[in-house]
Amino acid sequence: MAIRRRRSLSEIIDEYFADLEGWTQRVEGAFGERPSWDLRECSLEPLREVVVKPKEVLVTVDLPFTNKVGVKVKPLGTSSLEITAKMNKIVKLNDLGVTHCKGEFKKYHCQLRVPVPVYMKKMIVNYKKGMLEVHLPRKHDEI
Amino acid sequence: MVFGFPDVGLVGVIAAAHLVEELKLEEVAYLDSTLLPPLVVLHEGLPHSSIRIFAGEGLLLVISEAPVPAEAVYPIMDGLMEWGRSKKIKMMVSLGGIPVEDRQDIKELKGFAAASCPEALKIAEDKQIEILQEGYIVGTQAIMLQKASDIGVPAIALLAQCFYNYPDPEAAAEVLRVLGKITDIKVDVAKLLAKGEEIRLRGRDVMKRTQEEMSKMKKPQELDIPMYVS
Repeated sequence: MAIRRRRSLSEIIDEYFADLEGWTQRVEGAFGERPSWDLRECSLEPLREVVVKPKEVLVTVDLPFTNKVGVKVKPLGTSSLEITAKMNKIVKLNDLGVTHCKGEFKKYHCQLRVPVPVYMKKMIVNYKKGMLEVHLPRKHDEI
Repeated sequence: MVFGFPDVGLVGVIAAAHLVEELKLEEVAYLDSTLLPPLVVLHEGLPHSSIRIFAGEGLLLVISEAPVPAEAVYPIMDGLMEWGRSKKIKMMVSLGGIPVEDRQDIKELKGFAAASCPEALKIAEDKQIEILQEGYIVGTQAIMLQKASDIGVPAIALLAQCFYNYPDPEAAAEVLRVLGKITDIKVDVAKLLAKGEEIRLRGRDVMKRTQEEMSKMKKPQELDIPMYVS
């Protein structure tokens, strides 16, 4: 008889976000690519990169027109991050050469998944010249 | 003849766009090819090819506003270089970047050069530009060096340390400084640096598309350690 282990709350949250991410990808696939902006939220999606190193996961995000105080990095469960950064100037679509619709951007927003287990509570955040770095020590004992 | 294509850090295209603006170069030709995606770039309501050629001050400058599809790099470069040769150009220079892991911590970026022939290499060496001694170059710059070597036109690839995945105006400024050492093309980069954040913001989508093409052409191979066999 198979014995089913009770899942911890963090595992349930992780599973939820994994499902949500999978659903988002399926919707994206069905409706094609989406733009890198969200007019309703007045937000831009920043360029970012997740690099798995032997001892840590390094997340970098390019955030021009921001400053350190306006940047928020929030763990979502144990394997996802939400990054929001207030822009220090409002950028209108018109400023970027887009004239067929109106809108403005006040912040950057993105969610990203960390591909290996990490200690979220030991997260170290650095910010330099509009570039955010998030260092997440890896949990090697769970691999 | 100078080339500025979207590549790592968008260094080449940012630098080339700055040259067009600063030297007030005029559009003299464009590339039309079924190898390019069905795309035009609108400027003031009028369609333009994504790959255009500007001229002025004894210079021909090729700039692409969209990444060249990986499978089209070879024929596109071939066509452009043959066209350049028909105009009797003296030298070819490509502007680009070389990604470094600790880019964010580097205060003074360095420029490097690779060349198609010993004579072109000497031009860079004489100006104290560090030479990329060993390694791999992938993409438009690789084809430029190889073909230039075949057709006997001296060519130099200039590469500034840069971010791999993020538009890097500081690296573009550095590559222009290095260009000023080996040619008479000298431009003030103060405006470019002042517009740095705006360029990073505007370059997001082109960078994203460029990442896709770089990945298809195995661009990360540039980071490989070369296996030198004597």
